[in-house]
Amino acid sequence: MAGQAYKAPRTPEGNPDLQGFWQVMNTAAVNLEDHIATLGMPAGLSVVVDPPDGKIPYTPAAREKQKENYKNRAKADPLNICYIPGVPRAMYLPFPMQIVQTPKYVLIASEFAHTLRMIYMNGTKHPDVALFWIGDSRGHWEGETLVVDVANHLPDTWFDRSGNFHSDALHVVERITRTEPDILTYEATLEDPQVFTRPWTIRMLLYRHKEPDFKLLEYECNAYLEDAEKESQ
Amino acid sequence: MKNLKTLNVLVVAAAAAALMLFAPMPGAGQDKQKGGKGGKGKGGPPGAEQYGPYYAAPVTAGQPVGKTPDGQPDMQGFWTPRFNQAIFEIQDHPKAQPGIGPGKGAIVDPADGRIPYKPEAAEKAKELLTKQIYLEPEAHCYVSGVPHAAYQQFGYQIVQPAGYVLFLTEYAHTYRAIPTDGRPHISPNVKLFRGDSVGKWDGGTLVVDTTNQNGKTWFDMAGNFTTPAIHVVERFTPVDTNNINYEAVVEDPSIYTQPWKIAGQLGRHPDQNMELMEFACVEGNQDLVHYTEGVGGKAKEKGALTK
Repeated sequence: MAGQAYKAPRTPEGNPDLQGFWQVMNTAAVNLEDHIATLGMPAGLSVVVDPPDGKIPYTPAAREKQKENYKNRAKADPLNICYIPGVPRAMYLPFPMQIVQTPKYVLIASEFAHTLRMIYMNGTKHPDVALFWIGDSRGHWEGETLVVDVANHLPDTWFDRSGNFHSDALHVVERITRTEPDILTYEATLEDPQVFTRPWTIRMLLYRHKEPDFKLLEYECNAYLEDAEKESQ
Repeated sequence: MKNLKTLNVLVVAAAAAALMLFAPMPGAGQDKQKGGKGGKGKGGPPGAEQYGPYYAAPVTAGQPVGKTPDGQPDMQGFWTPRFNQAIFEIQDHPKAQPGIGPGKGAIVDPADGRIPYKPEAAEKAKELLTKQIYLEPEAHCYVSGVPHAAYQQFGYQIVQPAGYVLFLTEYAHTYRAIPTDGRPHISPNVKLFRGDSVGKWDGGTLVVDTTNQNGKTWFDMAGNFTTPAIHVVERFTPVDTNNINYEAVVEDPSIYTQPWKIAGQLGRHPDQNMELMEFACVEGNQDLVHYTEGVGGKAKEKGALTK
């Protein structure tokens, strides 16, 4: 972040140390845009900081599609059938994440469905042969900030429970900065000319879990889905 | 990215196909024994040995084991497990079963290579073997428990940030994080597929103690089940930069007459610049349609359970 005063401690190889357990305290997982509460889902303000009106700059057709997704969300949300959440959705689910760093990688392990993000820090390029549910993440450091370029997204993931979506042309650039000892500022700029009229940016804070001996447990979504299906038979 | 669009289907299909390789098909056991190629979509290097559906790195001597910045013996990198045919059945299994060819397991104690079941538990395992085609937990994309995670198909990557040893597995694109800071286990009331693992270094050996498993995982595809009372102590001993010796002692007084032990080795993958791919198990899984016993299950109609 420009003009930032706090300087994070360093890893043995000299990079800002982002390690630990982190989680958002917002409702981006419900809806990235402004939203009122619905049953079981709290209200929240938009995490879209650009455009300044807080609205995702959909093309008119794409906005219609989002509205249809919203209507069908109980069945259509890929998370409801336990698919890998994709990026950026994996970053603001209501589940803790563990960040670990080695000289070659930054790893983000989420408690949600044991989802693993590997961010390659060795200067390699996105592969040109495959699409992934979690995308392909290649990162580098810009001062205090971890900048991650995420491409190769499968088109089937959503951004939230409200049907906000993208195509396989999605390109995400994340900027993750430890702005205070126990806070990461998370920013992501999303481009997808098939769905949006311009790039747009979300920003939110991730808070450190400081409970003693904190660790990730598990949320094995597909196993619980199977149990629920059995119970309903 | 547009040029990649047609590959979506391929990615999903690849995940499904990889699972099919692992999920038993009637009479397919023989093919698996010879034909598997591993998760990278390319065959093993010259001299590679075939273990189950994946290849294992050839045994080659390495350099003395180094240290990580925080002083742990360095095991980082990509590893392939050598555990005979334990991934199919952890016991010695000289006789072919539907979907499971004959082979050696990984049990070194008792000396007969068999799990020391109590009689009623042996009956249950035998019963599960007849239904493994649709009950096998990995066909349902459940993450493996411990010690199964140590001989996971496709192998895994070990990374060692300060205070942790992490195992990143390609199968189901998942991880196992073991803290080595001396903390106790979590509450015994919380049971997990992967259990709760705590580690410590005993000289040059990583000792991992695992409790809190939920009893929903198996050791293999052959019905060798677990219960929530299982307690596993694993020992990872890097002998040089290319080889790790592995041992695990399994106890569960509710189903075994005595603790038993498995042993195997991990060989360093010759390509250390490889990257784990995404094995999107749930997303590509057609098995539930074919193998579940419940509504929609076709196992019975397909005659998959005939013996």
